[in-house]
Amino acid sequence: MATAFAMKPFVRTAALLLATVISFAAPAAQAKDELVIGVTQFPSSFHPGMDPLLAKSYVLAMTRRPFTAHDPDWNLVCLLCTELPTLENGHAKLTERPDGTRGIAVTYTIHPKAAWGDGTPVTSEDVVFTWEVGRHPETAIGAGAFFQRIEKIDVVDAKTFTLHFDRPAYDYNAINDLDLLPAHIERAAFADPASYRRRTAYDADTTNAGLYYGPYLITEVQPGSHIVLEPNPTWYGEKPHFRKITVRVIENSAALEANLLSGAIDYIPGELGLTLDQALALEKRHKDRFTFIYKPGLKYEHIPLNLEHPALADRRVRQALLHALDRDALTRRLFAGRQPVAHGFVSPLDPVAAPDLPTYAYDPKKAAALLDDAGWRMGKDGVRHNAAGERLSLELLTTIEDSTRRLVQQVLQSQWRKAGIEVRLRNEPARVLIGESMRRRQFTMAMYFSFSAPELSPRGFLHSSQIPTAANNFAGQNRSGLRNAEIDALIDRIEATLDPAARRDLWYRLQVLYAQKLPALPLYFRTDPYVIPKWLAGITPTGHQGPSTLWVERWHVLR
Amino acid sequence: MTDARRSLGIAAAATLATLVVLAAAAPLIAAAMGHDITEADLLQRYEPPSLAHPLGTDELGRDVLLRLLYGGRISLTVGIVAAIMAASIGTVVGLLAGYFGGRLDTMLMRVTDGVIALPLLPLLIVLAAVDLGELGLPPAIAESERVSLYRIILITALVGWTTVARLVRGTTLSLKSRDFVRAAAALGAGHVRIMAVHILPNAASPIIVATTLAVGQIILFESVLSFLGLGIQPPLPSWGNMLTNAQEVIWEAPLLAFYPGVLILITVSACNLLGDAIQEWLDPRAVVRR
Amino acid sequence: MIRYLAERIVQGLVVVAIMSFVIYGLIGLMPGDPVDLMISANPQLTTEDAERLRRIHGLDRPIWERYAAWATSALQGDFGYSRTFARPVLEVLGPRLANTAALMLGAFAVALMIGLPAGIYAASRPGSIADTLVNLASFVSISVPTFWLALMMIILFAVTLGWLPASGLPTGPAGFWEHVRHLILPVATLAIVEAGAYVRYMRAAMIEALRHDYVRTARAKGASRTRTILGHALRNALVPVVTVMALSFGGLFSGALVTETMFAYPGMGKLIFDSIMGNDYNLALVALLFATILTLVGNLIADLAYVALDPRIGLGTGPGTERAR
Repeated sequence: MATAFAMKPFVRTAALLLATVISFAAPAAQAKDELVIGVTQFPSSFHPGMDPLLAKSYVLAMTRRPFTAHDPDWNLVCLLCTELPTLENGHAKLTERPDGTRGIAVTYTIHPKAAWGDGTPVTSEDVVFTWEVGRHPETAIGAGAFFQRIEKIDVVDAKTFTLHFDRPAYDYNAINDLDLLPAHIERAAFADPASYRRRTAYDADTTNAGLYYGPYLITEVQPGSHIVLEPNPTWYGEKPHFRKITVRVIENSAALEANLLSGAIDYIPGELGLTLDQALALEKRHKDRFTFIYKPGLKYEHIPLNLEHPALADRRVRQALLHALDRDALTRRLFAGRQPVAHGFVSPLDPVAAPDLPTYAYDPKKAAALLDDAGWRMGKDGVRHNAAGERLSLELLTTIEDSTRRLVQQVLQSQWRKAGIEVRLRNEPARVLIGESMRRRQFTMAMYFSFSAPELSPRGFLHSSQIPTAANNFAGQNRSGLRNAEIDALIDRIEATLDPAARRDLWYRLQVLYAQKLPALPLYFRTDPYVIPKWLAGITPTGHQGPSTLWVERWHVLR
Repeated sequence: MTDARRSLGIAAAATLATLVVLAAAAPLIAAAMGHDITEADLLQRYEPPSLAHPLGTDELGRDVLLRLLYGGRISLTVGIVAAIMAASIGTVVGLLAGYFGGRLDTMLMRVTDGVIALPLLPLLIVLAAVDLGELGLPPAIAESERVSLYRIILITALVGWTTVARLVRGTTLSLKSRDFVRAAAALGAGHVRIMAVHILPNAASPIIVATTLAVGQIILFESVLSFLGLGIQPPLPSWGNMLTNAQEVIWEAPLLAFYPGVLILITVSACNLLGDAIQEWLDPRAVVRR
Repeated sequence: MIRYLAERIVQGLVVVAIMSFVIYGLIGLMPGDPVDLMISANPQLTTEDAERLRRIHGLDRPIWERYAAWATSALQGDFGYSRTFARPVLEVLGPRLANTAALMLGAFAVALMIGLPAGIYAASRPGSIADTLVNLASFVSISVPTFWLALMMIILFAVTLGWLPASGLPTGPAGFWEHVRHLILPVATLAIVEAGAYVRYMRAAMIEALRHDYVRTARAKGASRTRTILGHALRNALVPVVTVMALSFGGLFSGALVTETMFAYPGMGKLIFDSIMGNDYNLALVALLFATILTLVGNLIADLAYVALDPRIGLGTGPGTERAR
């Protein structure tokens, strides 16, 4: 009893010390009206239409809203407009163009209270200005082709306008890429279109409130380090909860994780955060501190095969390659089953995903039979040879930046070796892989993901007109070199079919063909891990290219 | 040379020799243990040490001990071969510059300055993308997975020779005015002979020391390249890329980062100690540099 | 002497001119370009968009043509715009240089403050336990991979102990001390990896100096050990060390890529890396040339010291041996 009494002052001091250390350690914990987000990439430029970068769309989605976007359930919704125009509700109308072909006129109304951060209302004039900038060949706007398709804009009134498209496309009412620019600020910079890129206020004066109309304004930018956002008084939507949001950039993911644990950052979003295996390991240790959301999405991790390669030109070899892989075990062991095995290029979350497709289960016997059949017989050295004595030796290319791919690559190599397929690994920086080896089709097999959008036409990477060649200056992304008349016809029809049900049938047929022809080996749909502190709620990952920050005003602190 | 330093030098040499022998014997040890280091076993990830795997298994279920030994083969090869190549280039440049002096000296020294200032990164990326097959190398080399190894050796040698060049030039400058060199010249010895027979042996000490130190530095350099993703590529293990891969799992399997880190530490320290010892042994009066 | 200086400056200008072309060419030779990466960030972009962007960014023009255009305007003082930041190059470089100066000079100073006294102390008692410990510590310092040390520092001081911020710059209006607090870990990391080399230089030079006859004489005349060391030997021993410092001076301003990456600190190292990777010619070129010029200046100072002093003292460990930080 006496000892216990004597211990008290000591205990009290220790507790006090501990409390000091803890409060020192996690200053963010007390100030719950501030949020620090940690991401791995810094947006170099802030212009909404130029140099698309995930980090940029992530940050800008807090400060501005596209007219239309896909919501977390993948339905197209209005964010800046008041009602989604459709043929059914009469706001979209088929038109006849002067040359007799069909076009479409789509009418939108801007949210009545929408205003730029400096108080100037968002009007149809801004829309017309944005279109002028976007269609001008000298400005470096990314989605130029989209603006080219708009032939004319009718200004109905200050808040209502009609877009005239040159063709009735399946996605006629999705204008996600119409990134609105403030005419009252940007018109001066656009006086000389060629130098617009250098004069735009988005980069010259990034913290100008007049550039934004979303729930937040950018109030501080420290290039390479952080961006600070504060609420926008003119925001027309639900009032955001956080008084201040800081986006901190920590490119090294090990350091990013350490920052999270130290309390320097609160939340790591899946869009630009930890690797999946890192998040899985973190969950084991810190289940009590963080909520983990694993959202598979539109990043289709696959291995395009160069169909000009003599061995890969044979479909049996391509099928054998897939039968020899235990993709289930791979995703179960490496990714705790969080990354669903892909059977085609369309995400199962996409409304047009086919319910059942030809699949290629792990079946070493079948793989062996297919290879025997194709003339590749097992040699004494454990590698298959054909009649001419050539070894079945392929090269697998991937990017150096991605540590998970480096692991997967070695697993694949090891599994294929068992089937008698020798695979050599080669790695290149992403810019070389995408910009050179794939562009010029100097590859045998390559592993990377392609990013899609809901119902996005696969013309770019499946249509035979999109095979990069020297003749077309290596344009197009059909890098496998797939040539199939039926697939071409299906893509053409999908783009021109306005009836959703009819379009869905075409999509199903296309996916079956893809799985049969196998121009690429589907691996899985990449899963983004969201590491959310227990006190933070309201974050809904989308799984598509629309960042979760499009609904940042719903984020709040749990009581 | 004090006894303590001598024994340190011997210990360093013995450590390095042990590492080299163990690394060289890696395939034998692998055969004896019955493991294949490129074989991924997803059921055995992050196994703790056991009889079958004395240091446990890594993120793909491969034996860590064997990976370290194989990694040692690569790291030590890179270090030793690149250091020797760099020393050779540096010696030739330094000898020519110091011996002939004048314009040639000025030119070579400014080239040296340029190389010191040369940005390594674009060089690495350019070289990483050059198709070695098109340069006339046999496909056996150009298509092998060891290509990343050859590239790193080449690059390191191409930019790492400047130290030796400066050292040799300095020594040559002071040697060429010495009596024995002048005497040799007076007796009609040719330039090449004078450089090879009279100057080079006297410049050997700094060259050897610089080379020994370079081995360690290059091993460290490879680890930085691995950190940037430009180092030795899988499936070849190197201490550098093992260390880099381990950083993301540092909480789950801290030992995976510990082992390669310690091996790098031991190797670099041993190279430094050995360099010191050689220096004192060759030239007891001279300064111990670095 | 003046002639020598003039000659060196002219040579230096020639080297800078050649280097500017070599660097431009190297970046130009790098296969691939960032336009294709943009497409992978926005699936809606079409191939036509890519071609147009390539043309606007001038990526489709021959390299010599672009270089000539750049060189012409650079000679008139216009270094152009950064492609990625869409801002004038000098405007982008300014703050990064300031950050780098704070980080690198801080680390340099700390490394010297640890390295020089430790080297002197060890040299004054060769073979003692203290000497052995200092040597061991210097080996650890020389051989520890920077990114590994950085991660350990973050885990220990930011995560486990929670004493210091794990990264970068403070946000908002932060006072001087807040900046200092954020700098402690990166500066300490860099200082630790650099101090070892200075210990070795200093110790070696001091041992050499202590062997000289005049030092022995001073000692025999009854001067105290401390007095001998500080008063007589140090001045001589500092000469090679100062030379080494001059040689590493230029390297300071090309930043410390690994340290900056680990601590998310926006300095020159990261900027140069990113600008090269992103084909941002103007930015990469100016940043690299700046580093080149400083390297040349450092080498010139080192050579001057070399010319002025006894060549036998030995030198030649240039920044080429400097490890990548």
